[in-house]
Amino acid sequence: MADTAPATTTSPTSRAVSRPVSEALLNEKWDRCFSNLIIKSSLGLGFGVVFSVLLFKRRAWPAFVGVGFGAGRAYEECNSSLKQAAKEIRKQA
Amino acid sequence: MLRTSIRSVRALGSRPTAAVAGRQWQASAARRAVVSGQRFYADDKKPLVDEAKLPAAETLTAPTTPPPPPPQTTPAATITPEQAPLTPPAPGPAVVPPPPPPVAPIVPKKKGFFRRLRNFLLKLVLLGVLGFGGGVWYSRINDNFHDFFTQYVPYGEEAVLYLEELDFRKRFPNVANRVTGRRADTASEQVSIPAQSGASWRVADGDHAGRQSSGVAQKVVAAKDAVKDTVKDIVKPEPAAVTKATTETAALPRVEAKDAALEKKVKGVEEKKEIAVIPAAATSSKPKEFRAPDVNEPSVWPPASPIDPLSVPHADDAIVQQLVHMLNDIITVINYDGAADKYSQTIWKAKDEVSKVGERILSIKSAAEEEAAKQVKARIDSFDKHANDLVSRLEAIMLAQEQQWRREFEAEVERLKHNYDDKIKLIQEREQKLSEQKLQNKLLEQAVELQRQFSRDIKKHVEEEREGRLGRIESLSRAVSELEKLTTGLNEVVDTNLRTQQLHVAVEAVRASLEDAHHPRPFIKELVALKEIAADDPVVDAAIASIHPSAYQRGISTSAELIDRFRRVAAEVRKASLLPEDAGVASHASSYLLSKVMFKKQGLAAGDDVESILTRTQTFLEEGDLDNAAREMNTLGGWAKTLSRDWLSEVRKVLEVQQALDVITTEARLQSLKVE
Repeated sequence: MADTAPATTTSPTSRAVSRPVSEALLNEKWDRCFSNLIIKSSLGLGFGVVFSVLLFKRRAWPAFVGVGFGAGRAYEECNSSLKQAAKEIRKQA
Repeated sequence: MLRTSIRSVRALGSRPTAAVAGRQWQASAARRAVVSGQRFYADDKKPLVDEAKLPAAETLTAPTTPPPPPPQTTPAATITPEQAPLTPPAPGPAVVPPPPPPVAPIVPKKKGFFRRLRNFLLKLVLLGVLGFGGGVWYSRINDNFHDFFTQYVPYGEEAVLYLEELDFRKRFPNVANRVTGRRADTASEQVSIPAQSGASWRVADGDHAGRQSSGVAQKVVAAKDAVKDTVKDIVKPEPAAVTKATTETAALPRVEAKDAALEKKVKGVEEKKEIAVIPAAATSSKPKEFRAPDVNEPSVWPPASPIDPLSVPHADDAIVQQLVHMLNDIITVINYDGAADKYSQTIWKAKDEVSKVGERILSIKSAAEEEAAKQVKARIDSFDKHANDLVSRLEAIMLAQEQQWRREFEAEVERLKHNYDDKIKLIQEREQKLSEQKLQNKLLEQAVELQRQFSRDIKKHVEEEREGRLGRIESLSRAVSELEKLTTGLNEVVDTNLRTQQLHVAVEAVRASLEDAHHPRPFIKELVALKEIAADDPVVDAAIASIHPSAYQRGISTSAELIDRFRRVAAEVRKASLLPEDAGVASHASSYLLSKVMFKKQGLAAGDDVESILTRTQTFLEEGDLDNAAREMNTLGGWAKTLSRDWLSEVRKVLEVQQALDVITTEARLQSLKVE
C-alpha cells in the first residue's frame, strides 16, 4: 500500500484541475477569501494613502483606515460565502 | 303641617322685630295670640275641609262608612264651644267665623243622614230611569241620538231593540211571526183562527147560530131574542129540551157573560137540540103513516104483520133454492114496503106452489133413482157373467201359449248353446296358434341377439389385442423420443457446461483486470464479453445494470488509492471537525487552529464525534473492510460529509462492482451446479 501512494498522487491533482474535488471545497473558499482580503485591503490602503496625501497632510491614519475598510469588507464577504455554503449543505442533508 | 311650620316660623321671625320695636309690644302680643289662634284653627280646619268633602265621597262609596265621621266631628264641636269665648277679644273674627257655619249643619245632619241618603238614591234612580227611558224614546226619534245611545249607554241597545221589536210585532203580527219563527214553521205551524171565523160543523142551522153568536158580541139583547126564536121554531116537537134551552139562554145574557162563555153555552144548546131532533126524524116515518089511516077511517085492518120468509125442507135442489131465494127477496121487498097485507095472499099461494113444486121434484127424483138402481143391478150381473167367460177363455189360451213358448225357448237355448260352443272352439284354436307364433318369434329374436353379442365380443377381443400392440409401439416410440431428448439434453448440458466455464473465465478476467491494475482503467471489454457469454441471464443482466456506468467507463480506483485519498480527506475533515452550525469565518479559523492541537485516537474508538469516526474508518480501511468504512463515513454530517462526498462515491462504486461480480460468480457457480 505504501508503495502505491506515490504513484497515485499525481492523478488526483490532474483530476482536481478539471473538477473541484469535494475535500478541496473548503480550501478553495479559504483561498478566495485570502485573495479577496489582499485585494480589498490593498485597495483600501491605496485609497487611504491617496487621501492622506491629498487631504490630511500625509498623516498615517487615513491609510490604516483604508486598510481596515478593505479588510473588513473582505471578511464580511468571506463570512457570507461560508454561511451560504453551510446553508446549502444543510439544505442538501 | 307645612303650613303650620311656616306660620310658626313666621311668628318666631316676627317676634324679634316686635321686641326691637318696643312700643308695639301690645300689638305684637295680640298678634302672637292671633297667630297662636290662627295656628290652632289652621290645624283644625283640616278636618272641617275633610268633612265638607266626606258626604260626597260617602254617597259614592257605601253607607257602611258613616261611623268614622262622628268622632272627628265631635272634637271639632267640643273645641269650638271652648274656643269660642276665647276668640272674641282677638281681632280674629274674620278668620274664625268660617268654622261655625259648617259645624252647625253637621249636627242636624247626623239624624237625617240616612233619609237624605235614601232620598238621594231614590232621586238618582228615578233620574236614571227617566233619563234612560227618555234616551230610549228619543233614540227612536232621532237617528244620531240612537247611534250614540246604543253605543255608549249600557243596555241601551238591548232596550231600544226590544222596544222596536215590540212595536214591529204590534204592527205586523204575521210578518213578525214569520220572521221570528222561521224554524218553527217547519216543525209545527200553528195557525190560530179566531173562534168566530171560519167554517163550523153546523151546516144548515149553524148558519143562523153562527151569525147570531157573532152578533151576540155586539148586541147581546138581539142575540138573545134570536136564539129564543130559533130554538122555539126548531124544537117544538120536543118541549122538554126546548124549555131547558130557553131557560138557559134566557138566564145567560142577564149575567154579563163574555163572548166565549156565551158562545159555548149557545153551542151546548144547539147540540142538545140536534140530539133531540135526530131521534125524532128517525121515528117520525112509522107513526105518521100508521096513525093517518087511524085518524081518517077507523078501518078493520090491523097492520099486517110482516110476511115470514119462506123455508122449504129438503131444499137441496138448486132450482128450488133459487125459487125460494127469489120469493124470499120479494117477501122482503114487500115487507120493507109495508105492503104485506096487499100481497100476502098471492105470496101465500106462491109459497104453497113453491113448496108443492119442491115436493114434486123430490118425488120425481126418488122414482128416477129407484129405476136407475134396478138397471144398474141388471147390468152388473150381465157384466159379471161376461167377465167370468172371458177369464176362463183367456186362461185356456194362456196355458196353450205358455206351453208353446216353453218349447220354443228350449229349442232356442239348444241352438244358442251349440253356436257358442263352436265359437269357443274356434277362438281357442286361434289363440293357441297365436301363442305358438309368438314363442317362435321370441326364439328367433333371442337367436339374433346371441349372434350379435358374439360378434361384439369377438370385435372387442380383437380390438383389445390390437390396442395392446399399438400401446406397446407407442411406448416404444416415447422411449425413443426420450432417448433423443436425453441426447439433446446431454448436448445442452455440455453446452451449458461450456457456457458456465466461459462465464467463470469471463468473471475471472474482469476480476483480474480490476485487481491487476495499479491505477484505474476501464473494463468495458471484459463486461461486454461477460454479458455475451451470460446470454440473457437475468441475474447477470441485473448485476451488470446495477454497476454505475462511470465505473466501467473510467475504471475503479484500487484500495491503495482509496486509502491514500482517505488520508487527505481525513486531514480536511479534521480541519472542519469543530465547526458549529452556520459557521462564519471566525469559527472556521478557530476550528482550523484547534484541530491542529487535537489528540489523535487509535483503533476502533468509541464515540459519535468526527475524530473517532475518522479513526474507525481508517482502521476498517487498513483491515480492508471497505463496506464498514463506507458505512462509518456515511454517518458524518455537515461540512465533514460535504468534504468526504467524493471519496464516499468512489468507495461506493468499488463496492457496487465488487458486489456485481460476486453475484455473477455465484450465478456461474449455480449454473455449473445445476448442470451437474
